[in-house]
Amino acid sequence: MKESIIMKIHYGTALAAVALVAVHILMRLTQGFAESLEYDSVIANYKFLPYAGMLEIILILLSIHGFNGLRVILLELKQGKTYEKAVSYGCVAAMIALIAYGSRTIIMVNTGMM
Amino acid sequence: MTNQDEHKEGIRGMINPRRYGVERVAYLLMRLSGLGLLAYFIGHIYETSSILKGQVGWNEFLELTQTNAGHAILAIVIGMCVFHTVNGIRVMLGHGGVGVGKPARPDYPYTPASQNIRHKMGIYSAIILAAIAMMYGLAVMFGE
Repeated sequence: MKESIIMKIHYGTALAAVALVAVHILMRLTQGFAESLEYDSVIANYKFLPYAGMLEIILILLSIHGFNGLRVILLELKQGKTYEKAVSYGCVAAMIALIAYGSRTIIMVNTGMM
Repeated sequence: MTNQDEHKEGIRGMINPRRYGVERVAYLLMRLSGLGLLAYFIGHIYETSSILKGQVGWNEFLELTQTNAGHAILAIVIGMCVFHTVNGIRVMLGHGGVGVGKPARPDYPYTPASQNIRHKMGIYSAIILAAIAMMYGLAVMFGE
């Protein structure tokens, strides 16, 4: 994929994540910070499908943005064909692993498989 | 005799914040805050997965994070998040050609048109907003 397209994805995921993370944080503040972290409150959040969907979207957006950012930093420090391939594939693998791990929590709590 | 150029400082020279003004500081902070936020994000995903262990597991993990040290770390995360967001918007605008000035013939003293007062104000705004957000976060977390 062209680097210019990757940077457009990087910026797009950043802008979308800012909007959704703002909603996620406001949910904590409107409820009261400590109360919003209570077990029943967190379970209720996960069970509410639109909110669980939003968490899943945030997870995907931030994973893409975060690991692409890490890739950019690592490629700035050192260059080379093998190194660049290893960094790119490593970041994609880590991104997929994190999305899978986070999705597991969201899906299991939302569907009551716990 | 070594082959290395004595003027080539490598990464140490690249990250020297004193040499290239506030733009280099912003460059450094952007990368440090990005790495910090990625580390926090991974930790947050791991932390929230403890809810699968039920109420006992959740409360045990919450006890670890809801401490003074935990709140201080969260305040730093808030600061990094706000700086990364505001400075990121500045960088995006700059890449889009907003606020970087018009192309002109490079004349002595070769001051880059893009490193102008508008972008410097953007960097300082990001730092100030991050500090305000950190203080607000601390007030919310310790105020309860």
